[in-house]
Amino acid sequence: MDYRLRLAKRMLFNKRGSLIGAVLAVTIGILVIHVNFVIFQGLFDAIVRDISNYNNGDILVTDEEDYIEKSDLSIVKWFERIPFVKAATPRLSSSGSINMTAFGKLNEQTRIPIVGVDPLLDMKASTVYTTISDGEYVFSRNSIVLGSSVARDLGGAKVGDSLKLKIVDRYGQDEIRRFVVTGIASAPGGQGFDYSAVVHIDTLRDMMKRKGETGSILVKLNDPSKASEIKDFFLASFPNDKFVAETIEESAEQQLAGFRSGIAMISMIGYFGMGSSAFAIVTIQMMLVNGKTREIGVMRSIGAKRKDILIIFIFQGMIIGAIGAGVGTAAGLGYTFYAKETKMSFNNSLPLEVSYNWEKIIQTALTSFGLAIIASLYPSYRATKLLPVEAMRNV
Amino acid sequence: MSKVLEINDVTKIYGERENTVTALNNVSFSIEKGEFVLVVGSSGSGKSTLLNMIGLLDRPTTGKIRIDGIDTTNLSDNKISSFRNKKLGFIFQFSNLITDLTVFENVLLPRQIAGTDYSAEKDAMELLKAVGIEDQINKRANKISGGQAQRVAIARGLINKPSIVLADEPTGNLDSVSAEIIVQLLKSMCKKLGQTFIIVTHDRHQFGEVDRVITIKDGRAFEGDHPSKLEVLV
Repeated sequence: MDYRLRLAKRMLFNKRGSLIGAVLAVTIGILVIHVNFVIFQGLFDAIVRDISNYNNGDILVTDEEDYIEKSDLSIVKWFERIPFVKAATPRLSSSGSINMTAFGKLNEQTRIPIVGVDPLLDMKASTVYTTISDGEYVFSRNSIVLGSSVARDLGGAKVGDSLKLKIVDRYGQDEIRRFVVTGIASAPGGQGFDYSAVVHIDTLRDMMKRKGETGSILVKLNDPSKASEIKDFFLASFPNDKFVAETIEESAEQQLAGFRSGIAMISMIGYFGMGSSAFAIVTIQMMLVNGKTREIGVMRSIGAKRKDILIIFIFQGMIIGAIGAGVGTAAGLGYTFYAKETKMSFNNSLPLEVSYNWEKIIQTALTSFGLAIIASLYPSYRATKLLPVEAMRNV
Repeated sequence: MSKVLEINDVTKIYGERENTVTALNNVSFSIEKGEFVLVVGSSGSGKSTLLNMIGLLDRPTTGKIRIDGIDTTNLSDNKISSFRNKKLGFIFQFSNLITDLTVFENVLLPRQIAGTDYSAEKDAMELLKAVGIEDQINKRANKISGGQAQRVAIARGLINKPSIVLADEPTGNLDSVSAEIIVQLLKSMCKKLGQTFIIVTHDRHQFGEVDRVITIKDGRAFEGDHPSKLEVLV
């Protein structure tokens, strides 16, 4: 082993307090980034997951101008013959008002988003049905699933209650139907249909006077990474139709744009934290240098060059960086593992979608290692500036 | 015998303008190879300053210092470091071992700095045997007694076979028994290795018979140590 590395190691390990302090500074810097990533990227991914699972699928097909007039079943069948496609389902959306008499009092809620679904296909392509906390998913033409917020605003609608839904059809006429509440939907974090009502798509088509028309086709893939490829294949296969096909990133861009910039800011704060840990290293190493004035003087007097002294203290920075990066990464991975295994959520909000981003994990470890070395440069330089005769005066 | 050290008109002035102190004033002398020389003088006389100049730890304000015929005045910092490593051996008052290293590693250190590891461990072991401390080699340097540490310092000072061994009050921190052992060790090493030893001490009598004594008084160098017979070295 190079004597400078041995000396750097011994000097550092014989000052355990300083070593622990410096390593902790690096560790905390890394841990802050990991925790930020788990929480904020996890929240972002959870939102993407729920948008994909409940609303947009991995690919969302709409019509460029209005509603899709082509048979929804033919489009669903077209998609389902592709091996990467798990399922596809049509959706139709509108808004309407609901009134219901509860305990002798009439409650009315207006501008409720109404979603029409094909129950059988929807249960294959979407996980909205899993958000039913009470009752069942839409199963007949006159059944309605209320979002938990809508049910609450209607005075506490329950499964089995009867209510009236009014929408305005394509010709501007009011269309009123009576429905029976068959289920209440409640998704963690309210990302599902908590503020909507779900009915059978054919009933909604009738009410809207849009027979055979579809608002969108939601396509769920076995392998989401193939979304772009399948989307392009779909558009190429229907050149004469005015279809718009978007991947989840494209269709949810507006909803996600704010989150993206938020995450970028949080990441920056994390890196500022890492930067401040570099200042801690500078301070601790300056203390180490000051505490080793005598040794530096002795080394210089027996022939060590400035370069040798510089290397010893840079080695110390490398040791601090390596141990700190190792411990910090291990702690960060431990936290990530815990968050993933426990499906971490805050105040019963949506569970975080935790993933191991190895590229970022390695980048964070390398950055902190590099920062530790950079932080050691100034103390190392100061050490080289000690004149042997000055250092020996302290002897 | 050849001259191993030549000091010509060396003056060292500390401070600036009116706040100056002349630590050495036109000091000139030379030392032959293999001589055992004592540098004596009262506290503040300039003997440690002289040792720093000879050890190239500090530069003279004016004058020249030649070691092994090489003028050290204009050497770069790197060259001075190499020069110190190869030509000079240091023994300090408080031994100044690197406490983070073992006894053996301390002795090896100058050789490792030189980057010539060939036979280093064998040489270090031989030196440690010669100073009688071969049974302590794996101990941390701060776990041995002051006398033992000083022996290790002697071994470290000799490992690179320097032309001149400089010792600054090598017995100053030791009890009389240990001091006597160190004095005898230094003398025997000088005789055995044929190297030049320059010892700065305030206790002339501890060293008994030596080849030569140089007295530093008020920044001037004098041959001899008898107050009435001091002869200015020019």
